[in-house]
Formats: sequence, structure tokens, C-alpha cells
Amino acid sequence: MSKFRDRAEREIGPRLIVAASTVTAPARAAAAARRATGRSGRLELYFGFDEPTSAFAVIDLAQRLQGRKVIFDLLPVVERGIKDDPALERKLVYRIADGRRLGRRIGMTLCRSEPIDPQQTAFLASWVAAAPRGTALTRFCAAACRRIWFESDEPIEQARYVELWRECFGSAPVADVEAVRANEKKMASRGPYETPAAFIGGRWFFAQDRSAQIADWLDELGWTVQ
Amino acid sequence: MADPRVDYFYSFRSPYSYLSGPRGFALADDFEIDLHFRGVIPMMMRGESVPTAKRLHTMRDVKREADRLGMPFGRIHDPLGEGATRTLAVSEHAIDVGRVREFVLTAAQAIWAEATDPATDEGLRLICEAAGLDWEGCREALSDQSIADRVEANTNQLTEIGHWGVPVFVFEGEQFWGQDRIDDLALVLSDAGLARR
Repeated sequence: MSKFRDRAEREIGPRLIVAASTVTAPARAAAAARRATGRSGRLELYFGFDEPTSAFAVIDLAQRLQGRKVIFDLLPVVERGIKDDPALERKLVYRIADGRRLGRRIGMTLCRSEPIDPQQTAFLASWVAAAPRGTALTRFCAAACRRIWFESDEPIEQARYVELWRECFGSAPVADVEAVRANEKKMASRGPYETPAAFIGGRWFFAQDRSAQIADWLDELGWTVQ
Repeated sequence: MADPRVDYFYSFRSPYSYLSGPRGFALADDFEIDLHFRGVIPMMMRGESVPTAKRLHTMRDVKREADRLGMPFGRIHDPLGEGATRTLAVSEHAIDVGRVREFVLTAAQAIWAEATDPATDEGLRLICEAAGLDWEGCREALSDQSIADRVEANTNQLTEIGHWGVPVFVFEGEQFWGQDRIDDLALVLSDAGLARR
């Protein structure tokens, strides 16, 4: 490897990435333009019902967005992760321990000690992906996440979630598997490779780790609590 | 009776390890624990690949976290290869002479905020002397097979406990992965009645 290429890879490239990440004016201007034209901000959350870290993110962000003129765009996915990730199985097990700690932060106790197969909750993703954004959807997702991870370790029965859906929407859910696939593609195009991931104002964050920073970024963009 | 042990798995090539350093070592100030620094070989030198999306995100995310923590970050010299190996060797020597905290914090800052190249004698010597280490002792550590074996053992231990990334803290078998889980570990240590009075 040439000396210049070595230096470019070890120093110049990383420094440029870091420097570019500190430029916030375009995102702030775009947010200001949205406000000036009466539009809301939009926070996209890519998440899975099958993991406790996502459950924490849904519940925590729903609270943090209260009072802000920001649409909580809940985008469930089923297939995600680093391709051929050798640590996948270990990550699934670790998420349980991590979910227990995250739950403690919001005053909840994790009720499960085993990972959930993503296919067991895929029906929820297909309902949510097809539904209109808004308070009913946020209420359903937060309640479903609590029920799956923090209220019981019972098998996940579709009928019980149909009831919950009816409580929130007043009608039966409609499944749209293609909408879930679209969420997965959109997530990949935004950059995140694992969930839960929040995207707003051109930045994305691992939502279970950076909830305070997400709130700070919303403030910086002008989407403050009213 | 000996203080309870906390293992601290760390890579000089991990910017998240760099962020964890000051608070990680401070655990031993705040709690009655025996903190064991365990330097490990970087993932990419262990045959594991890191996707481009992950590399880009890491740089951006670490910058935000560094700003939040008031730590310098950005004048980087990626130590992948010789730089990482040499720094790991000296960290083991620093354990032996009781200056591991000083060395690790100095070396990580040099790599991630001062663009110092530890693959060169000039760069590594600068780091060693700033950490209060004698350069001759450090130089000998670079070719000491028993020290290289210790680093290898640390790396194997990380795999054996079933973990893949760093930094990781292990207390009584429970793993805390990430610089953003140090507060959770501190809570567990407090619950165990280990806070210094």
C-alpha cells in the first residue's frame, strides 16, 4: 500500500467523516422551513416487536416526543441485521440482559428470559406497517411492546392483539407484508443495519442507547416541547 | 478478603473503548472492586469484517458522544495492525509496573484525538513517556512473547465468554457491553454494596 493511501485510510478519511458530521446548518434550515410552512417534524423509528431493546425505544420515545410537533413514524421490520453476522445468536441472548437494564431505567421489569423468534411477532409488524401514523398507532405499539416484554412471558397469541388493536382503532387490523418489506428497504437506504434505529434531520441513532441525544437533536432542530 | 473482580475488555482500535476509558477506570475509585484491564486484538485483526455503514456510523456517533462527554475526538490515526499490537504489548507492561490507567488513557487520546501513530517508535515513545513509563522497558515488552501470549489469552477469553465487541465489563458473570452501560454497571455495584464510603 502506498504511503499516501495508508494515510488517507488511517487519518484523512476518518477525519473528513467526523468533520462532515458536525455540519448541522442544512438540517436546521430544513426543519425551520417545515415549521414555516406549517408542517411537522418526522422521527422515523425502525424497530422489531421481537426484541426488548426495541420495546424500550418505542415506549421511551413515545414519552419523549410528547409536546413536540413531531410525527412518530413507527416503522416495524422483521428481517434486518448485518449480513452473515457471526455474532447474531450471541446478540439475541445479550439483548435479553440488556433489555432488563433498559427496563429498569423506565421503571419496568422484563418478563422474558429467552429471545423471541421474529416470525412470532411478524403479524404485528404487518398490521402496523399498513396503518396510518398517529396517536392510535403510537398507543397500540407502546401497549403491545409493554405486553410482550414487560407484562407477561405467555405465548404471543394473535387474538389478544386483535382485541388491543380494536381498543386503539375501533376496527380490525389489516395485514400488509409488502409494507414491512418496504420499511426494511427504507431502513437500509437510511443507513441503519440493526434495530432499534431512529432517523431524524439526516441523522440516525441507535434508539435504545441514545434517547437523550435524540431529544437534544430535536431541540437543536427547533422541534422543542411546547 | 479480596475485592470483587471486574474485568474490563478493551481495544485500542475501538473509539467506544476510548470513550469508556475515564469512566471505566474511575469505577475503581468509586467502588471497592479489583478492576482488571484486558486489552484485546481488534475485531478486524481477528478475521471479522466491519460493514461500511457501521464504520461510518461509528465515527459520527462517537463524535457526538465525545462532545457530550467533553472528550476530544477527530484527529485520528487508525492503529489497525502494528499500532494496535504494539500498544497492547505496552499496556501489559504498564499493568506490571502499575501504570495501566495512565498508559491506556494517554494512548487512546493520542490515537483518537491527536493522530499519533503508535506503529512508529517515535509515536509510541511519545505516548509511553507521557504516561510516565520508561521507554526501554516498553521497547522490551514489544518483543516479549509472554506478553504477546497474555494479549492472546485476553482475546480468547472475550470469545469464550460469548462476546464479540468492546468495551465489555464483566462482573460476577454479567456482561455490560458499551460505554453507555457503565452507569448500569455502577448501579449493580451499588446494589451489591460496593460503593466506597
